Amino acid sequence: MSHSDEADSPTASGARVTQPLTRRPTAGWALMGSELAVLFRRRRTWVMLLALALIPVLVAVAVRISSAGSSGRGPAFIDQISQNGLFVALVALTICIPLFLPLTVGVVAGDTIAGEANLGTLRYLLVSPVGRVRLLVVKFVAAMAFCLAATVVVVLAGVLIGAALFQVGPVTLLSGDTIGVGQAGLRALLIAGYVTVSLLGLTAIGLFVSTLTDIPVGAMAATVVISIVSQVLDSLPQLDALHPWLFSHYWLDFADLLRQPIEWSSFGSNALLQLGYVAVFGALAYGRFASKDVLS
Amino acid sequence: MSTVWKRWIPAAVAGVVVAGAAVAVPLSAGATAGLPGKSPQEVLALVAGSSVTAFSGTVEQTSDLGLPTLPSGTGSGSGSASHSGGATSGGTSGSEGSAGTAAAASSALDLLTGTHTARVYVDGTTGSGNLRVQVLDQLAERDVIKQGDTLWLYDSGKQTAVHATTSATADAVPTGPEQTATPQQLAAKFLDAASSTTDVSVGGDVTVAGRSAYDLVLTPQSGSTLVGAVSIAVDSATGLPLRVEVTAAGASDPAFSSSFTSLDLSTPPADLFSFTPPAGTTVTEKTVEKPSAPSGDATAPAHSASDAAKPIVTGTGWSSIVELPAGSDSSALTSSPLLAQLTTPVSGGHLLSTTLLNVFVADDGRVFAGSVSAEALEAAAAQ
Repeated sequence: MSHSDEADSPTASGARVTQPLTRRPTAGWALMGSELAVLFRRRRTWVMLLALALIPVLVAVAVRISSAGSSGRGPAFIDQISQNGLFVALVALTICIPLFLPLTVGVVAGDTIAGEANLGTLRYLLVSPVGRVRLLVVKFVAAMAFCLAATVVVVLAGVLIGAALFQVGPVTLLSGDTIGVGQAGLRALLIAGYVTVSLLGLTAIGLFVSTLTDIPVGAMAATVVISIVSQVLDSLPQLDALHPWLFSHYWLDFADLLRQPIEWSSFGSNALLQLGYVAVFGALAYGRFASKDVLS
Repeated sequence: MSTVWKRWIPAAVAGVVVAGAAVAVPLSAGATAGLPGKSPQEVLALVAGSSVTAFSGTVEQTSDLGLPTLPSGTGSGSGSASHSGGATSGGTSGSEGSAGTAAAASSALDLLTGTHTARVYVDGTTGSGNLRVQVLDQLAERDVIKQGDTLWLYDSGKQTAVHATTSATADAVPTGPEQTATPQQLAAKFLDAASSTTDVSVGGDVTVAGRSAYDLVLTPQSGSTLVGAVSIAVDSATGLPLRVEVTAAGASDPAFSSSFTSLDLSTPPADLFSFTPPAGTTVTEKTVEKPSAPSGDATAPAHSASDAAKPIVTGTGWSSIVELPAGSDSSALTSSPLLAQLTTPVSGGHLLSTTLLNVFVADDGRVFAGSVSAEALEAAAAQ
């Protein structure tokens, strides 16, 4: 992992140093492009996406080789897999949302600023006329792109392995209605969008934590711990009043998109909540990063 | 130095804006336009004259009855291992044994604790009326679909469906999510009870589901009941009851609340009311007559379910007590480990105590229920 970091970073910062030569309006997009390239060229990113893709594969293989009916036990939707392979994606999402997705997002978001500081490249980034605000925005957008990639990888891997190992047919919704495969694909895309939006609050928190320290592992761990604490608080009935304010509160409500007609209210409240988290923690990250002495 | 502080201004502004929005939005939702004053009789007439036959909306029901919160998944069938044993053995084999009744009891109890959201679609313009209720559980859903004379109950978590004809629904379907009653049904019930025993008044204007409403407040005159007040919000434009809140005597917050959070008065699309059980669903057919309990039922050897035990009502008004004679239903309930957890043993039986209702199960199998103190129930049992 460290080898690839070292291999990538000089070329990446080299590309960034040349930016002042280009015209200013394009500089932001060049920085964005180079940031995305750095993120998705990293071996660590690929390993994380591969690990996420493995989860639906494991689920599908496990259901395939065990003929015993589980009759209501295990994660939601797992009974339906043997009848319809498309449900592998849903089971995998249900499994990934509490831990694996926050884990990978925490790694990426926690690494944003602290990673650069740790490698000593943050100074060079800021020496070239890249504003700190722009750098923060670019880092956040790149982390958002990872959220989307991670979710899409889980859904896509689930659909593919489900189609390979099981029959694929019309999908039964939670309401008992049945929709065709094409419509089901559309709903799967909507769910991927929902889960991506769900992770934005955590991404903003990770970005803020990342500005607090020069040690990326610390920022990653703190972000993951925050996501777990939020879910623990969400499971305590004594804290009812707090629940709608926790960024993890609507994480599993993606199932509202599987009702007939679609229940959009949780999509809306989730988006609003995540927007609030992005606003508050984005502003906090700006406050910290803009007033910080960058020494490394 | 001052520039350093300026960097934190956005953070402060974002925090203040978010906190402000969080406080202001619920407040503005509660603000009401001044409605012309109405007497209780006029509001009641508004309800009686309501001509709304078709609407769709979202109902949120919140219960804080002092019952312990059940483990999530109990009754909703969303994947609890402990629950599946009781439900599948009784339900899918089609027997009407005690396991099925116990599962039904836990399902009903589940709806009486915590918060539930349901979508309601009503179309009374055609034939005998169409209705669809969707209880939205996490990663699961329970549906009631009534189209004309056919009735379907569907549980996505257990992948089971029950098909019944309307005439059978009255007694043979005790488990369905229709126990998440709409404000309409509840209001009718309470308005029936509002006789000489109740003070009826109109409170301040309220806003429910974005609509301005009159607040009809029923206060029991009797001091012996546990119910402190019942508040019914009546839509000022249509007379549709939008919210029912029941407050226990001496309490300030409602112990039970069923409220529309959104309401649409247009006719819902007809295809919502047609239901075909999806592939892989276990379908149970219910006949019109409720089948009598199997004679080999170990839990109720002495009782025959065919002599349908009629409840006896003693007392009047708010402090009436319902006595259910010993029967297979009550013995199935008392043998349920779930109810054993919920009740406390008292002399002569077990007591299920909530803020609004007390249920006393005598050792001989008789069940007494009422919105009265536990002592009154025990006294009624001793007679």
